[in-house]
Amino acid sequence: MKVILKRFLSIIPVLLGVIVMIFIMLRIVPGDPAAILLGEHVSPDTVERLTKSMNLDQPMGVQLLSYIWNALRGDLGMSYTMKRPVTELILGAFPYTVKLSLMAAVFAWAVGLISGIIAAITQNRIPDRLFMGFSLAGVSVPVFMTSLFLQYMLAFKIRAFSLTSDGSLYSMILPAIALGWNSAGSIARMTRSSLIEVMQADYIDTARAKGLARRAVILGHALKNSMLPVITMMALQLSSMMSGAVITESIFAIPGIGRLATEAIQKRDMPLLQGTVLFTTVIVVVGNLIADLLYSVLDPRIRKEA
Amino acid sequence: MRKRHVCALLTAAVLAGALCAGTLSASAAEEEKVLHIAWTADAQTLDVHKTTSNYAIPLAVFDRLFEVQLNDDGSSELVKSLLDDYSISDDGTVYSFTLKDGIQFSDGSALTSEDVEYTFTRMFALEDSVQTDFTSAIKGSDAVMAGEADTLEGFKVIDDLNFEITLDAPYASFLAVLATPTCCIFSKDNVEEAGDDFGVVPEKTIGSGPYMVTEWVANDSLTLQANPLYWGAPASASTVVFKIYPEPSTISMAFQNGEIDILDCDSIDSAVAETFKINPMYSDNIVYANRLATTYLALNENVQPLDDVNVRKAIQMAIDRQSILDAIYAGEGVTVDGIYPAGSIGFTEENQGWLTYDPDGAKALLEEAGYGDGFDMELSADASASASVANVLQIIAENLQAVGINATIENYDEAAWLTLRKSGEMPSFTATWTLDYNDPSNIIDTFFSSPDTGTLRSLNYADEEVMARVRAASAIVDEGERLAEYAALEKKIVEEDAAWVPLYTRQHLFIVNADTVEHFTPHWAGYSDFNVYGVTMK
Repeated sequence: MKVILKRFLSIIPVLLGVIVMIFIMLRIVPGDPAAILLGEHVSPDTVERLTKSMNLDQPMGVQLLSYIWNALRGDLGMSYTMKRPVTELILGAFPYTVKLSLMAAVFAWAVGLISGIIAAITQNRIPDRLFMGFSLAGVSVPVFMTSLFLQYMLAFKIRAFSLTSDGSLYSMILPAIALGWNSAGSIARMTRSSLIEVMQADYIDTARAKGLARRAVILGHALKNSMLPVITMMALQLSSMMSGAVITESIFAIPGIGRLATEAIQKRDMPLLQGTVLFTTVIVVVGNLIADLLYSVLDPRIRKEA
Repeated sequence: MRKRHVCALLTAAVLAGALCAGTLSASAAEEEKVLHIAWTADAQTLDVHKTTSNYAIPLAVFDRLFEVQLNDDGSSELVKSLLDDYSISDDGTVYSFTLKDGIQFSDGSALTSEDVEYTFTRMFALEDSVQTDFTSAIKGSDAVMAGEADTLEGFKVIDDLNFEITLDAPYASFLAVLATPTCCIFSKDNVEEAGDDFGVVPEKTIGSGPYMVTEWVANDSLTLQANPLYWGAPASASTVVFKIYPEPSTISMAFQNGEIDILDCDSIDSAVAETFKINPMYSDNIVYANRLATTYLALNENVQPLDDVNVRKAIQMAIDRQSILDAIYAGEGVTVDGIYPAGSIGFTEENQGWLTYDPDGAKALLEEAGYGDGFDMELSADASASASVANVLQIIAENLQAVGINATIENYDEAAWLTLRKSGEMPSFTATWTLDYNDPSNIIDTFFSSPDTGTLRSLNYADEEVMARVRAASAIVDEGERLAEYAALEKKIVEEDAAWVPLYTRQHLFIVNADTVEHFTPHWAGYSDFNVYGVTMK
């Protein structure tokens, strides 16, 4: 319990650090956000008026403190461009990103684990070479390539899917595959190497010597013990998918968190950008925390050391 | 190997999706005319007092006192919209208006003079209003803006249908201003009741226009339904769906798949637009509209040797504008020789045709000015601008080099570029001014009405007398006399003083899906927003 509490407390300085950093970075970037928002068709007086109503004329320290104070109460401010509360926008976009990331993760886990196991048990034979060649392609092809390729082939040429996602599970399949592709490749490689390593351990020989069938040894002993690093990786990938769905969301027109962030960057919408960065930070930090906890659940030795 | 893998996935996916697909096709069977439009980014707020971008939805949901009508020959004119009648006092300061009788908002309440008064007062009273510039001629607007008054002195409600607006001084483009999205008329009850939700929450945003917003999912889609209480001819499309596609490539595929009924060629890659133009499937279905914008090359008169009028004239002659249009924009546009964009009110044929590409003449002029050996000249580029804009600058640099001017392109990031330009010290650059309202004063006042405006745009036009005439012109009450003065000023500033190099007015291309759309009239295009009401469906 104490460990968990300690880990929870360690999140606070991370979040504060992120808030301060993003706050300062956004204000170092040259250019007046009010002027960028309004374009060249308004008078300097109007720009000044807007700057004042956005509280941008106050000292940076005051702005930062009031931002943190409001953020603690769940108020992340109003979006400059959308004129809606940032919290509302993020909560509206989050379900799309969760759906996409979860589907991508399930795809990556299933495909990655299965091909990793097959590769490991057929080590250095043809299935192994095939799967590993394939996973190398998975790891090295960037997400936007996979997305555009899948969209062009399956939605435009064959028309088996819609070009963009309307939020339904079926329309999320293509974006989920595109987003999960990379992870599937790395999970497969990790599963394979971890399994092969475990298979060479002494206790596997003992199990075999007891007369257990090869399949029983792999599934009952080797797999269980080789999963530790793989599961950690899977947990980490889920949180990084949630924060990294930007490209997939753009190509398949999914109104998720990544889209909010890119819109915010393009339009210099500082409250919205701060909000999305803060939110994804929370997701990643919590994801890491869960991975850590899983680790100690799965491996009693780690629990003891802590 | 790859194929096999993809096939396996496909099979799994198709099986999984079979159920969902079944339910989808059942709901699409309704008999109504739906218009599908693609956007690259979402609208911001429909409350036009708080935004200066993307007016397409406010233009469809609200009405204005006047409207700009686009004629078949490409010219444009001002027509009454909510108004039944109006008159202007002889001194040009008092405007009397009569509203059409029986106009209702989409919630059934009547549109009265009080709503108009509320709208104009709010425009100035709102702390974060960004629309205080064009209408600041209304008497008492300063006091409301400063918080010293709650009511607008220059606005007098006579009865439900009649009201008067008094201006500080004659301001002849006021009627054109009333036709801008800035002057959308709101419902007082609605705005007061909705508070911060006005313009953001569909059911709390009520207008009197041809459409109502029924659904808005941020960053995803916005849906309009025809307003059954609309006073004018009912809109042709009963439902309009604006869907946001952030990737241009997705938009072009969606159009080819028939998912988009009218394609704005600005939203796709220009190379793809070119292939559509020569594709017989689409080439007959292209709609062209003037952008009502002038692109220019600025010449800063505070920077040597651009202070020499002969040098500026030589530069005007050295640039092959038609070739730029042809090479970069596939000839979609016309060269202009003055200030006012082609198709706008104030644009005259008399001021066209004097400027021709003449590199030899340019060299001779440079020789005469004492720069026969050329000089160094910086062309300042905004690095965030599109590739086409960068290419235009490249051609200009080559044109200048061909007459002996050593022109080099210097890149700045957007913010630095804007700051430098505002400082009045940027030597030369290209930019485009799109009319906010269809009147010559909008563009000439922005660049040539005072030394301050000259500094803001890094032009620094020097003739004080001409600038005083520009300021005075907006007070000329007689319309013919006023337009004649604007034409004379244009001739003086661009032809005689060579204050800038006028380049061109570009066109805006749309491709319509001939299966679903009968006819499409774009907006008069001062702000190039999509004109939903101008669509006739099949």
